[in-house]
Amino acid sequence: MPTSAASNHSGRPEDLIGRLNSTHTPYEAKLKALRDLKNQIIGNRTKKQVFLKLGAVPSVVSILSAASSEDSAQGGGGDNREFRDSMLIQSAAAIGSFACGLDAGVKAVLDAGAFSLLFSLISHLNEKVADAGARSLKLIYQSKLAPKYDFLQEKNMEFLLYLLNSKNENVSGLAASIITHSCQTTVEQLALSEAGVIKRLVSLLGGSLIQRDASLESLAAVVKENSEVASKFMGPENGRALNVVIELMKDKYPRTRLLACMCLICTRNTSSSYLRDSGIQNKLVLVLLELLDDPGQVGDEAPFVLSSLITEKEDMQKIAFDENVVDKLCEHLRAGTFQAKRLQGLFLALGDLCSKLECCRDRVIELQVLNFVTEALAHDSAEVRGAACTCLKNVSRSVKKLSAGQFMNEAVAVPLVQLLCDTSTSVQVAALGAISNVVVDFMPHKSLFIQCGGVKQLVQLSKSMESAIRVNAVWALKNLTFLVNNKCKDEIFSELTSTTLISLLSDPEASVQEQAFALIRNLVDGSLYSIEYVFGEDGLLLHAIGKQLRSTSQIDVQIQVMYTLSNVASGNECHKEAVMNQLLPQAGNDTETLLIKFLQSTDSRLRTATIWALINLTFPSSPGTSSRVTELKNAGIISQLKNMDNDPCLDVKLRAKMALGQLMMFGDAST
Amino acid sequence: MSLFWIVIRQLAEIQAMATSKKVITRIDWEKKLNDVKVRKEDTNQLVMNFLVTEGYVDAAEKFRAESGTEPDIDLATITDRMAVKKAVQCGNVEDAIEKVNDLNPEILDTNPQLFFHLQQQRLIELIRNGKVEEALEFAQEELAPRGEENQSFLEELERTVSLLAFEDVTKCPLGDLLDISQRLKTASEVNAAILTSQSHEKDPKLPSLLKMLIWVQNQLDEKATYPRINDFSTAALEDPAV
Repeated sequence: MPTSAASNHSGRPEDLIGRLNSTHTPYEAKLKALRDLKNQIIGNRTKKQVFLKLGAVPSVVSILSAASSEDSAQGGGGDNREFRDSMLIQSAAAIGSFACGLDAGVKAVLDAGAFSLLFSLISHLNEKVADAGARSLKLIYQSKLAPKYDFLQEKNMEFLLYLLNSKNENVSGLAASIITHSCQTTVEQLALSEAGVIKRLVSLLGGSLIQRDASLESLAAVVKENSEVASKFMGPENGRALNVVIELMKDKYPRTRLLACMCLICTRNTSSSYLRDSGIQNKLVLVLLELLDDPGQVGDEAPFVLSSLITEKEDMQKIAFDENVVDKLCEHLRAGTFQAKRLQGLFLALGDLCSKLECCRDRVIELQVLNFVTEALAHDSAEVRGAACTCLKNVSRSVKKLSAGQFMNEAVAVPLVQLLCDTSTSVQVAALGAISNVVVDFMPHKSLFIQCGGVKQLVQLSKSMESAIRVNAVWALKNLTFLVNNKCKDEIFSELTSTTLISLLSDPEASVQEQAFALIRNLVDGSLYSIEYVFGEDGLLLHAIGKQLRSTSQIDVQIQVMYTLSNVASGNECHKEAVMNQLLPQAGNDTETLLIKFLQSTDSRLRTATIWALINLTFPSSPGTSSRVTELKNAGIISQLKNMDNDPCLDVKLRAKMALGQLMMFGDAST
Repeated sequence: MSLFWIVIRQLAEIQAMATSKKVITRIDWEKKLNDVKVRKEDTNQLVMNFLVTEGYVDAAEKFRAESGTEPDIDLATITDRMAVKKAVQCGNVEDAIEKVNDLNPEILDTNPQLFFHLQQQRLIELIRNGKVEEALEFAQEELAPRGEENQSFLEELERTVSLLAFEDVTKCPLGDLLDISQRLKTASEVNAAILTSQSHEKDPKLPSLLKMLIWVQNQLDEKATYPRINDFSTAALEDPAV
């Protein structure tokens, strides 16, 4: 073997660090140690971690710092200039490698104060030193942990333009990375656009491969969700820049194709008129579809870009479906063994496709890939678990599939319930979303979920500190309670207890209150037996409902309150009277106007809900209806209903007619 | 690549005309070919592109001097790139890795597959040289963690380590890993990565032009009889067999 084999074992991490730190190490030996360290960590995650633990980063940064201050003292000249430059290059490269692909490394590098030192290298006379500094900064800026660059300071913007205009590819690439990383707000996007950044980025599209890719990525960041900036990119010279990007969609390099798609999608999503011709739409789908096959990073990112193209857009989902994207995604799922990131992307894209179109859901079921989704519910990566939940949630939006009992089996229910105790909040929320849909399933399967301990978990989560979890947990309970038999309702109610329910009714978040009322609405729906839930413990729950009825000003909550009362009012005489007492208490005058206020609401849903309650209260065959009609008449309800004869909402108009019809059957109501 | 498209267009015109197989005589064909104007600079660029991409630095320098064609890359970087390539071809992988890292540390840090293949080649060289213990230690410490990160790396690693199980590796079914072609494969992978990092196309244009020529001739064979190029080293037109 050649001589290099010998050097293999001279570099134990501890020894290397020792040599770097010691003041007795001769300069040459120090430089060699630095280079050895660099060569050990490049491409090697485990080694990076070993050296990080040994505190290598501060050592390297202090070498960079010393060399750099010596350098500025000598004005870049001096006797051992060449040697000093090598020190600068090697230390900058080592720092960059620590920051590459390892957040802990980025943190260590930033903590050690390397950031400003590296920036000072960029204007170095020796281009190799400038290269090393720019490359390392670029790697730092690829991490989320990198500090945000403040474009709004004039000095910073000038410096950015200086970087962007540099002939040195690494320096202009750094500028692009800064933009990609730091441009997040509309104000920043506008500031960059006004400073002429778009024009410069567009000219870089005609540059080298590296410049092109960097420019595409930055353009996407500057244009994203900002129609004003997008129009500046689309507009000039008859969309010449846009045409360049469209051409790049067909580039030889997969990464360039992906970034071109990303840039076009960001532009497209800013307006409902950009890039709507079917040629480009199909092309985007086809290019991304092909990029899914890339075995590397591009293939990992492709499903995310695809997702940004189709999410919330039914027309694009249809195009994707017609191009067999569902089949292709499922094929990839079947192929198995890949990085967590890719799996997450595949589930997200598949979930997006199934969010609206029944044909996509059909296809997913037909291709029998659901077991891959349920398997992924137990994946090591939280992102994958969350994405699998989202996918399951969207596939299970199908009423047809739900009623066929496609989802409620142990393979789905058990892992879903387990995810309710997940360490990641976002996974819990995603799991609750999936459960909410899956439990809408019809009768025979619901008991399975309860047997799995699902209710217990949901009730626990309904007391969570996180409002996102509370609202989704109550939502799931609400759906579980929908059209369920009395036995199941008993189990749910005894687990929930009226105390918990009452505290949920006055939750600080209106969205939680809304779901809690909807839950009670489902609970009391159906039989006389179930209406009794709100009358237990001296009508504790009913009083809480009444209290909230009088105090809330949230329309969404009011709607659910009225439907809840409406369901209670469908019961027996006693139930109806109790509802009357809540709606028209004897004492105060304030609440008397409440019914009128609801009937006059601008929200037609609240008007409908209120009329339903009136209909149930005045059901003709009930013995007490006559006296209730009198009460309602005295409260001015009848004249209000008559005014609703021409309600703009057809549903309200019909219900009002129906209610009036019932009321008129009682003689004294006609006046 | 304008030359190519002009030829294609001409051929397309011929195709459009042909209802049955058309015969084109040598005189007509040569006349048509003479009508195609190809800029000398374009052909020179093609040659330079080939020399640069393939790393013939001396030839590229001579060609620049003689033809005045400017290469699209600093010729000094070719020397560095060739040194890396040569190091791998000689089995001196560690040296190659150090050279790549000096050239641009991003290459191996952002290209896990290439890094793995270089490390794998290092392991192969250790096995070739009979350094069993060292090979095992290297596989465990350097390669196993990469295998944990990526399933396909793990499979390749297992394949490589199994070389150790054979006393006579020439009888090993995986002996091809020890073959010189494996070194060349790795060397060309590094070469391509360096070129990409320098914003340079990783393949020369001439070979793909040649491939297109073959494709076009095959297409045309169905429609016409014409003076064909059969020997690509001389590019001589051969009279159609009538």
